[in-house]
Amino acid sequence: MKKKLIAVLLVASMAASMVACGNKNSGSASKEAAAPAEATTVNTDTTTLKINLASEPDYLDPALNSSVDGATLACNSFVGLYTYDETDTPVPALADGEPEISEDGLHYTFKMIESKWSNGEEVTANDFVYSWNRAVAEETAADYAYMFAPIATNDDGTLKIEATDDYTLEVELNAPCAYFYDLLAFPAFMPVYQPEVEAANTDGTKPGAWCQDAGFTCNGAYTLTDWKHNESMTYTKNPNFYRADDVKIEKLEFMLSADDTAIYAAYNAGDLDFVDTHIPADEIETLKNSAEFNVVNTLGTYYVGFNVNSKIFDGLTKEQAVEMRQALSLLIDRQWIVDTVEPTEKTPADTFIPDGMNDGNGGTFEAEDAGYYDATATGANNIEEAVKLLEDCGYSFTENGDGTYAMSPALELTYLTNPSTKHEAVAALIQQDWGKVGISVKVETEDWNVFLEDRKAGKFDVAREGWIADFNDPINMLEMWVSYGGNNDMQFGKNPAKAAPDWTEYDELIQEIYTQTDYAKRAELMHKAEDMLMSTYAVVPVWFENNIYLQKSNVTGIIACKNMNKYFMYAEKTAE
Amino acid sequence: MAKYITKRILLAIVSIWIITMITFFAMNAIPGGPFNKEKATDPAVIKQLEERYNLDKPLGEQYVIYIKNLLHGDWGVSLKTGRPIWSDMINKFGVSAKLGVRAAIIAIIVGIILGSCAALTRNRLPDRLIIFFTTLGTAMPSFVLATLLLLVFCLWLGWFQVFSSSDPNYTLPVIALSVYPMAYITRLTKTSMLDALNQDYIRTARAKGVSKLKVIFVHGLRNALIPVITYVGPMVAYILVGSMVVENIFTIGGLGSTFVTSISNRDYPTIMAVTIFLAILMVFANLLTDVVYKLVDPRIKLD
Repeated sequence: MKKKLIAVLLVASMAASMVACGNKNSGSASKEAAAPAEATTVNTDTTTLKINLASEPDYLDPALNSSVDGATLACNSFVGLYTYDETDTPVPALADGEPEISEDGLHYTFKMIESKWSNGEEVTANDFVYSWNRAVAEETAADYAYMFAPIATNDDGTLKIEATDDYTLEVELNAPCAYFYDLLAFPAFMPVYQPEVEAANTDGTKPGAWCQDAGFTCNGAYTLTDWKHNESMTYTKNPNFYRADDVKIEKLEFMLSADDTAIYAAYNAGDLDFVDTHIPADEIETLKNSAEFNVVNTLGTYYVGFNVNSKIFDGLTKEQAVEMRQALSLLIDRQWIVDTVEPTEKTPADTFIPDGMNDGNGGTFEAEDAGYYDATATGANNIEEAVKLLEDCGYSFTENGDGTYAMSPALELTYLTNPSTKHEAVAALIQQDWGKVGISVKVETEDWNVFLEDRKAGKFDVAREGWIADFNDPINMLEMWVSYGGNNDMQFGKNPAKAAPDWTEYDELIQEIYTQTDYAKRAELMHKAEDMLMSTYAVVPVWFENNIYLQKSNVTGIIACKNMNKYFMYAEKTAE
Repeated sequence: MAKYITKRILLAIVSIWIITMITFFAMNAIPGGPFNKEKATDPAVIKQLEERYNLDKPLGEQYVIYIKNLLHGDWGVSLKTGRPIWSDMINKFGVSAKLGVRAAIIAIIVGIILGSCAALTRNRLPDRLIIFFTTLGTAMPSFVLATLLLLVFCLWLGWFQVFSSSDPNYTLPVIALSVYPMAYITRLTKTSMLDALNQDYIRTARAKGVSKLKVIFVHGLRNALIPVITYVGPMVAYILVGSMVVENIFTIGGLGSTFVTSISNRDYPTIMAVTIFLAILMVFANLLTDVVYKLVDPRIKLD
């Protein structure tokens, strides 16, 4: 009897373990705590905003940071000439109103307001001259140095910028820049405090050393006062911030974690007021009904990329290779993927440039009815058309009688991805879609670091891809495809195989866009570039990215931008 | 004893040197690189960084430079964050050790007590219950246990905050860290104790009228502890450097996740530093184990 009882208890405990295992993956540990669509426990400390963005940031130096969470931290502790307002529009910050612009659009003169560093010293135009030149200097080795490319340079590599007095900054551009104000609000363009930067980097090998611990000087709304590495960061209101009177929250406390379960538990327990992105996927469906769940469309596209030099195109003409990729694009059921893998109200993508991106001429780049295909109708509906296109490439098909086909000769290809529930699920669905016409897809999952290297080197047939724009202009998503570009994973123009598209014209087109002074004409050229890109079918958009976050009902005033940056300094929090 | 310890220390130095060599060349043989990012980094930037960190030099030369710097106390800087590795590692180790020491003490004390109880109540209810819970403790993955603790004590009962920047609570992570070794020590103690209690010298002691408590705790437990000590040495070393899973779930800034993330980031100096640090701890723990052997059972010869 005892033995039986023990056996039953053991089975029960194992079952409990397995349920708990499920909880880890699904995050439903937290489900127990949060009834769907009901308001969760709020934190009543109205002076402190408790936030989770991500785990430990690599760099807090606005010039060296290249992560989204790091950019948000920079935006809340530094401020440049421009910033974003609540409508996500760049507006003057330390710039005293709009700049004077020369007729040719190349010379900008910024008058600056009087403002102070957190240590009480004046922020001057010379701080910008120093900081911008530091950001592009080779020894700084900043990832985002290329963001300064629109600014003209001197022979010694320094930028053509000058502080004509303490509060006047003159900037010379290479060509008129439609997105210059967006750049001015970008963290890399924020000033840093020269004496501290130089004191911490006497030998020139430690450019980011000055802000690796709490207490560094900044000029933004908050200063970092405590940093428990890999645990938490505390930012305290900077009384010298130029709009300090508008800052109501005294402290920002950041939980440094990327564990969705722990973060969601903390949110539900009232230990967090704001959670960015890290929401357990299985909770999203129920959270959608909650007023605390927010979605912001961002400037990014998730897509599938074909290596144009892949062996799967061997023996085909350029036109046939395009037809083959077109067939594969038609077979992808985008709506199904979005509905099953990404329940965050993402939109199936019918263009490469995401909806809502500016055109650099005062309008939106993609018209509402624009699209290279009906993204909500791709998939099974297109099997016949896809089969026809593949037949043009020399393949023959026999019906299996269940709506699927067997193809001859066999077509086998490898889909490269990195370990992630989301990416692997997308790969599995695409494998299923392409399998319907008899294509054999091997999904290869590589360690993130190796994946990046292989994708850049073109060691794949098809790979999962994604891009979030650095600034609100299509050029950022078009220039990446120039044949000499570091992000040209699809290998356009790189040792082109016979079936690869001729890419010289595209390279020339991008150069023309760079120098085009007429913004209307420039927008036209960018449309032409996107047409060229999409006509290759090497870049196959799947969905437009968005950003999800949770925000307690007693918190208002957080500015969430399309570039995923969050501004917390004008937030307010009530006790209920 | 002193001669033995000196010999072991010299051997340890050789072992650690071999470990540095194997780790250095193995990590460089793994595909990938420290500056790979989703958005491509300018080749000029990569060149600058490679020069700064001597990655542009032949591998052999890099190794010599590394060892030379290490002998001068320079552990280098993280390629990922630019932060000095030594201070970073020591700070993180401090956090992990704070948790690890508490977890190890709980695991050892509770494990030995429960193991002894189980042995002395063999096949009776206390033994059954102890074995049931220790089986559960050894079978349950740490992420499950940690998640359950979070759910029960933070969300259902509300006894602890999930996150607090000013007052982080270490109770739950300590429990999560201690359960597995405690359960293992319990089972080990029980088995060894049963074995010891069946030995002739125990029977002799009982026949001579030695008190039951003295027989159990002086003669029985002392001998039963030798296998436990074998396990405890390396266990303490492991537990001191933390657990990635537990640290992630409870947002603890310990050393546990550093090693794993440094490998995925190809942060070579950090991989080297953590490996060497762990090797030193392990060697020290094994040495300590041997010394404790000798103290527990003077018949054991170390030389």
